Amino acid sequence: MKLRIAGLAALLIALPVLANVDTNSVAPDFTLNAQGGKSVELTQFKGQVVMLNFWASWCGPCRQEMPLLDSIYKKYSKLGFTMIGVNVEPDSKAANDWLKQTPVSFPILYDTDSKVSKLYGVSGMPSTVIVDRKGTVRMIHHGYKPGDEEEYLSSIRSLMRE
Amino acid sequence: MRVLRVLVALSVLQLLGACAPLEPWVKPYEREHLADPIMALDRNPISSDYLDHVFGTREGAHGATGGAGGGCGCN
Repeated sequence: MKLRIAGLAALLIALPVLANVDTNSVAPDFTLNAQGGKSVELTQFKGQVVMLNFWASWCGPCRQEMPLLDSIYKKYSKLGFTMIGVNVEPDSKAANDWLKQTPVSFPILYDTDSKVSKLYGVSGMPSTVIVDRKGTVRMIHHGYKPGDEEEYLSSIRSLMRE
Repeated sequence: MRVLRVLVALSVLQLLGACAPLEPWVKPYEREHLADPIMALDRNPISSDYLDHVFGTREGAHGATGGAGGGCGCN
């Protein structure tokens, strides 16, 4: 009896622990629609360094870093680097309106049902995940404050050399 | 008696489970409405800080609102 109760207690305590993406784990694959309805899969970028950026138009720091991300993308896209902006809003209208004023050249995918945000355990806005050429998560960064782009850059540069 | 004891044990265990993160919890990527400026508790946080400082220095019963202490509260 005692054992059974102990077992139950262990179960109740263990249940809430959720699996999340960690550094050095395989980046979970996903398929999302891009601007214009084209579907994009993560595995199609295998062999390139991929930076996933989870953003929303209501998130101030996200808006602040978007032009910086665009300049990183423009500089490194020819050298085997891809940036993917994952918009987390259920309704993409506000995001599209904002993008009209502040256009970016990297692909924007729409995670309207939060499936990919859940899959990657996004625990802050914006969240940035950098995946290496083999498809392994190498860097997870939460939030943005001025100067963080240097961290992205040094990680991207070292991963491109691998 | 024994059944009762097991029931009590189970209900206590359930209470322990309440320390777990609740499922209908607003995830960071779902904060669309919470991030709206209209949801802010304070529309002018900086000017409220100054007011808190003035109140805190003038009135003993006022305080613990995050305002900085010290000084005469004249600026």
